[in-house]
Amino acid sequence: MLTMLEEVVLLAVDEKNGQLRSTREFGTAYALVGAVFFDLALARKIDTDLETVHIVDTTPTGNATLDRVLAAMSLRKDITTVRGWIEEMFLRRQDLEGEALASLIERGVLRHELSKRLWIIDVERFPMEDKKPQQHVKLRLAQAILTDQIPDTRDIMLVSIAEQCGLLGYVLSSAELANRRERVEMLSNLETISRTVTAAILNLDASLRQTMTKVV
Amino acid sequence: MIQLTQETRSGWYVVGVRGRADGETADELESALRAALEDHSKVAADLGGLDYISSAGLRAVLQAARAAEGKNAEFAVCALSPPVKKVFDMSGMHHVLRIHGELPC
Repeated sequence: MLTMLEEVVLLAVDEKNGQLRSTREFGTAYALVGAVFFDLALARKIDTDLETVHIVDTTPTGNATLDRVLAAMSLRKDITTVRGWIEEMFLRRQDLEGEALASLIERGVLRHELSKRLWIIDVERFPMEDKKPQQHVKLRLAQAILTDQIPDTRDIMLVSIAEQCGLLGYVLSSAELANRRERVEMLSNLETISRTVTAAILNLDASLRQTMTKVV
Repeated sequence: MIQLTQETRSGWYVVGVRGRADGETADELESALRAALEDHSKVAADLGGLDYISSAGLRAVLQAARAAEGKNAEFAVCALSPPVKKVFDMSGMHHVLRIHGELPC
């Protein structure tokens, strides 16, 4: 089974040409940190409430990315809030997207192609070797959003991270998303981690706007 | 620690929940609610004795509600204590679950 992080990064790959839709923007980076916390929660390694996050089990999951984050958390007893950990992991994040892509290549879902544009600019592509995993992710997202049924926990988490990464537009039409906006917001609000990531992104946007105003 | 009790009241199968619903007890809670739904068409979770609920606890309740939906069974949560109600309110659980101040039975 793919991790939440791998599923979101896979969703960002254009199935037609293998190009990455994400641009490593700050908002996406926050959301990918959120995906790692969801993976740790699903693995029953951490638990959260309205404000705090605590470690339930420190034994490794077997996934290098998750275990690195879990080890870092177990060493820093001074950070206890979800917000504190999202910010901390955002600051010390490594290339979560790159690690997920490497894992997807190793699993045979994607392959890596490197070419040159204008003879000097490196262009990376990740064409699909197996289209089924991405189709499965898209199907689950569409079902979670377009129906009124209670989704599976993983799918609730997936909706909130895909929304924060701006990837839902590659799954549903603008009209469908507009019609189901309340549903997307309701599902995204169910989890503390998503609410905290959303607040962090809004805070970052406000800070960037303030900085831009000062520069101008 | 979590304590679970079961009784039938006016056609409702009531699972009484006391203590903490967190990462360590969520599986036990979800299993109890799912087991109740296997045999009964109207199940209520009485959360009056629940002092604390974490995200893992909420997911357990939500997935029980999902199981009820799949079986066309009625599922309700009732008698939330103030700290637990705060968590339900913040998460918007009322959009997905049938929540009663009092037991429905």
